[in-house]
Amino acid sequence: MRRVYLFFLSFLLISSSKSYLSWAEEVVVYVSEDQVFSEPILKDFEKETGIKVKPVYDTEEAKSTGVMNRLIAEKDNPQADVYWANEPIRAVVLKQKGISAAYFSPNAKDISAQFKDPEGYWTGFSARARVFIVSAEGAAPTSIHAYTDKKWKNKAVIANPLFGTTTSWIAALFTVWGDEKTKSFLDRIKLNEVKISTSNGESTTFVINKQFAFSLVDSDDATNAVRNGKGVRQIYPDQEAGGLGALILPNAAVLIKGGKNPENARKLMDYLFSPETERKLAFADCAQIPLHPGIQTPKDVKKIEEIRPMKVDYETVAKKLQEIQAYLKDWVGY
Amino acid sequence: MTKKGVLLLVVFIFIIVSFLPVLTLLIKSLFPNGNFSIENYVVLFQSSRTWILLRNSLSLAVVATVVTLFLGIPLGILFSKTNLPFKELFTLLFTIPFIIPSYMIAIGWFYALAPQGILTRILGTHVTEIMLHHFFGFPGAVLVMTSVLLPVVVILTMTYLGLVDPKLEEAARLSSGWILTLRKISLPIISPGIFLAGLLVFALTLGEFGVPSFLRYNVFPVEAFTQFSAFYNFGAATAATIPLGIIILLIVIVERYFLRKRTFELIKGTGKEEKITIELNQWKVSILIFVIVFAAIIVFIPLGSLISKSVSLVACRETFVRSMDSVLRSLVYSSIGATLLTLFGFFLGYLLERKVFHFAWAIDSMAFFLFALPGTVIGIGLISLWNNPATNFIYASAAVIILGYIAQYAALGERMMAATYAQIPTSMEEAAQITGVGWFRRLVGIVAPMAKRGLIATWLIGFLFCSKDLGSTMMIYPPGHDTLPVRIFTLMANSPEEIIAALCVLMLGIAFLPLCALGVIFKKSRVKS
Amino acid sequence: MILKIENVFKTYNGTAAISGVELDVERGERLVILGPSGCGKTTLLRMVAGFIQPDKGKILIENKTVSDNGKCFVEPEHREVGMVFQDLALWPHMNVSENLAFGLKAKKIPKSEIKKRIDEILEKMQMIPFKNRFPKELSGGQQQRVALARALVMRPKILLMDEPLSNLDFELNLALRREILRLQSEFNTTLVYVTHDRDEAFSLATRVVIMEHGQIQKIGSVKDIANYILEMSKKF
Repeated sequence: MRRVYLFFLSFLLISSSKSYLSWAEEVVVYVSEDQVFSEPILKDFEKETGIKVKPVYDTEEAKSTGVMNRLIAEKDNPQADVYWANEPIRAVVLKQKGISAAYFSPNAKDISAQFKDPEGYWTGFSARARVFIVSAEGAAPTSIHAYTDKKWKNKAVIANPLFGTTTSWIAALFTVWGDEKTKSFLDRIKLNEVKISTSNGESTTFVINKQFAFSLVDSDDATNAVRNGKGVRQIYPDQEAGGLGALILPNAAVLIKGGKNPENARKLMDYLFSPETERKLAFADCAQIPLHPGIQTPKDVKKIEEIRPMKVDYETVAKKLQEIQAYLKDWVGY
Repeated sequence: MTKKGVLLLVVFIFIIVSFLPVLTLLIKSLFPNGNFSIENYVVLFQSSRTWILLRNSLSLAVVATVVTLFLGIPLGILFSKTNLPFKELFTLLFTIPFIIPSYMIAIGWFYALAPQGILTRILGTHVTEIMLHHFFGFPGAVLVMTSVLLPVVVILTMTYLGLVDPKLEEAARLSSGWILTLRKISLPIISPGIFLAGLLVFALTLGEFGVPSFLRYNVFPVEAFTQFSAFYNFGAATAATIPLGIIILLIVIVERYFLRKRTFELIKGTGKEEKITIELNQWKVSILIFVIVFAAIIVFIPLGSLISKSVSLVACRETFVRSMDSVLRSLVYSSIGATLLTLFGFFLGYLLERKVFHFAWAIDSMAFFLFALPGTVIGIGLISLWNNPATNFIYASAAVIILGYIAQYAALGERMMAATYAQIPTSMEEAAQITGVGWFRRLVGIVAPMAKRGLIATWLIGFLFCSKDLGSTMMIYPPGHDTLPVRIFTLMANSPEEIIAALCVLMLGIAFLPLCALGVIFKKSRVKS
Repeated sequence: MILKIENVFKTYNGTAAISGVELDVERGERLVILGPSGCGKTTLLRMVAGFIQPDKGKILIENKTVSDNGKCFVEPEHREVGMVFQDLALWPHMNVSENLAFGLKAKKIPKSEIKKRIDEILEKMQMIPFKNRFPKELSGGQQQRVALARALVMRPKILLMDEPLSNLDFELNLALRREILRLQSEFNTTLVYVTHDRDEAFSLATRVVIMEHGQIQKIGSVKDIANYILEMSKKF
C-alpha cells in the first residue's frame, strides 16, 4: 500500500517538475491587467518565442493582492522581470520608488509621446478610455459637467473614487483644473446626489437596469454591455473642439531593475508593444483601443485618431493621486 | 538522538517556520523607518473606520456562530442519535461546502440569483433581485459562512455525542423522555465540544477573506488587503490586523483557561457499549423532508448552479487544457503539505498529549493562534521574513507556499494527533520502554502503528485544508506556481462565468475523494468504538 | 542486595504521594507491597521502573544509582527490569510472538536466538498453540500469560507486577498465582508485586510491606504481617 502511494507521489512530482525543467529560457511577469485577457497574449508569446512565461496575476481591483505591492516589497530581491500594469499611474509609482529600469522599445516608436515616459521607465499600449454609459434611448450627457447639472440630480452614478480608474480620473482633473476648481466640482457632485457604487462593474449594472441614467465607466465595460445587447450605448465625453477630452488610460509595461532575465524581458516588452498584440486586445472582449495609428479595430472600438484625449501628464497625475488620498477618503466619508 | 532532543528540534523548526514570520511582521510595523514608532497604531486607533470594521467583523462572526450552532447542533443530534434514514449520506452532503474554498459557495449563490440563474427561473426576477441586493452584504455573508462552517458544528456534535457514556443517558431515560434527556444530560455533558465548535466557527469567520471580499462586506482581513493594494502601506496593513490579533489572542486564552479546566463524563478509550438510538416514529417523514429541504438550500442551490453552468464546451476546454498545470500543482503541493502537517502533528501532538515539556501549552497556543489568524496576514509575514537574496531559494520556490500551509494549519495536525494519542494508554509505550526499547523504535514500532487511523485522517484533513487554501497562497505564490484556488480567484475578473463555474466543479472533484476516504475512516471508527 | 530505595519522597501538587520510604530487596525474594488504593504503592513501583523520578532520595539497582534527587541516571529502557502492567498493555497490532520479540529485537539478539527464547517460554506456559494470535483473540487468562511471558523473556533482574490479577475471577486468579510462583522459581528472578488484596499478598510473598499514606507501616514475613494485621484490627 505504501509503495503504491510513494509511486503515485513521485509520479506527480516528476510530471509537475518536468514542465519546468524543459524550459531553459524564461521570463517572470507580474500582471495587473485581467488574467482572462492577458493570459492568451502571454501564451502566444510563449508559443512564438519558446520562452517560458512565469506569471503572477492580480485579482480585481478592490480585492487585489497587489502584485504592485509585491514589486515594492521585493525591491531588494527582485523576482519579476516585467510588470504589465493596467494603467500608467502604477508604473509611475514604481519609477518614483526606483524599482523600474529604462527601456526604449523599437516597437513603441510610433506610439504617441503622451503615452510614454520620456525617460523610458514605462511605455503605454492598448488603452481604455473613461466614457459614459447611457441608456440607448432618450437624452444623454455629453460632458462630465452633467454630474453637477441639476437636470441629472439623483440620476447619475460614479464608482468609489478610492479605487481603480475613478481615482486616476479625479487625479487627472486635479492636474488639469487645479485644486480649487476640482474640489468645488466634487462638492457639487455630492450636492447633486450622485450615487457612489463599489465598482465600474456595478455602475454599469445600475445603468443597464435603468436604476440610474448614466455613469462614467471604462470603455471595455461599456463596449461589452453594448455587445451583449443590454440596451445601452457609450459616449465619449467632452469631444467638442477645444473641449476637455476623454481620459485615456493605456496599459503600461515596465522593465524591472535587477530582474534575472533582462534579455527576455525586453523581448516580451517588444512583443507587447507590437501592432499585432494591440490588434488582438482590440478584438478581444476587453475591446481596448490600439495606440499605434492605423490598426484595424472592430466596428465598436474607436481608433485613437478618432478620439479627443484629455491632455494630461501621467507622472503629475500619479503624484497628485498620492496627495489626494486623504482628501478622497474624507470625501467618500470613510 | 534522545526523545527530548528530537522534540526540541521539531519545536524549534516549527517556531522558525510558523511563528517567526508573524513576529517579523509585528517588529517591522513598529519600526516604520528604521526607528521605533507607534505611529501606525496611533493612526489606526484614531480612525473611526477602525471601529466600524471592528463592529463589522465581530457582528459577522457572532451572528454566523449563533446561527451555525443553532442549526448544527440539532442536525448533529439527528445524524448521530436517531434512526433518520440516509443519515450518513446527509452528513457527507452537508460537509461538501466545507471542503472547497468558501468563496465558491458565494459564487454559486451569485450565479443562482443572477437573471439567468436557477433560482431566478423558479422564483422570478422580482424576488431574486431583492435577494441579490441583500446577498451582497451582511445577510449574504452570514448565509455563506453558515453553510460553509455548518459541518464543523455537526461533526463535532456527532463526535462528542458518541463519547458520552451511554449509561448516563439510559439512567435518565428511565424517568424522562428523549428531549429532556438530551437537554439535561447529553448536551450539558458535551458542552465543551459545542463550545469548541462555536469557537472554531467564530475564529474561522473572523479570519475569512474570500467571502466578505466577494460580497463587498468590509471586515479586517479585507481591510488588510486594501491597505496593501490601494495605499501601498505595509505598516498600516500590519497595524490593521492588530485588533484582530488581540481578539484571536482572547479566543486562545478562553480556550485554554475556560475549556480545558472543565471535566466531563466522557468514556475513555474504546468502550464497547451499545448506544441506544432515538426512534423518530411518527416524526420521521416530516423531519426527513425538513432535512432534505434544508440540504437543498444550503448545498444544492449553490453547488447546483455551479455545476449546471459548468456544462459547456468552452468551459471544458479552458478547464482541462489551460488549468491542468494548476490542478497538478494543487495536488502535489497539498500532498507535500499534508505529509509535513502529519509529521509535525505526529511530534507536536505527542508533545502536547504526553506533556513532555512544561511549555507544551505555549506551542499549542501558538499553533492555535496561527490557525485563527487570517491567511493574508501569514502571507505578508512570510514575505517580510523570506524575501531577501539569501533565502531566495525558499521565497522563489514552492517551498514558501508549503511553509504557509504549515504555519496556518499546524494546529490541525497537532490537535488531531494529540486526540489520537489520548486513545493510546501510556502503558503501551512504557511496556516497550521497560523491555529495553529506545524512544525512536517505540515511536515507529508501537505509537505509529497504533495511531495509524489518526495519521491517515490527519493527512486527509491536512490535504483538504491545503488544497482549498487561498489567503496565504495568494499573497506569496511564486511566479508560475499558482494553485487552482488562486487561479480561480485571479481569473474571476471579467472572465466568462462558465469557466469559473467549471473550475469550481473541478475543485470540488479534487476534494471529494479525500472526503469520502475520511467518511469511511470516520464510520469505521464509530462502528468499532 | 538487588534493589535499594533510600529515603524517597514524591509530591504531586502539594500532596505527598511518597514520604520517606526506605526499602531493601534481596536477590531472589518475592516482595509484595500491600496497601489500599492511593497509598503510593504504584508510584513506588513506577519509580523503580524509572517512569517517575523521586523528588528526593536515591534508588539503586545492583548497587548502581539509577536515580538520585530528581535526576535520572539510567533510563527505564536500560534498567533491565521487567514489568507487568495493570492493564497488561499488550500491543494490539502485534501477535503473541511479535509482542515477545519486540524487546529482544531492540537488543540486537540474533533471530534464531529470539525464536528459541520465545518458544522456550511459551512452551513453559503451554501457550505454543496461540503464538500467532492477536491479543484480542485471546481469553483474559491467556492475555495475562502473554504479558507475563513478555516481561520474563527479557530475563529481567527484577520483575515488577502492578496488580495484574485484579480483574480476574477467583478461579483464574488462583491458577495464575500458582503459575507466577512456578515461573519465578524457574527463572530465578526477583519479584516486586503490588496489590491491595491481602490473600494474594500472603499466597505470593516471602516478605510483605504494608504501605499507607505514602509511608511504610511495617515490613516482615507473611507470618509477622498476619499477626500485625490481627493486632491492628483488635485495636479498633
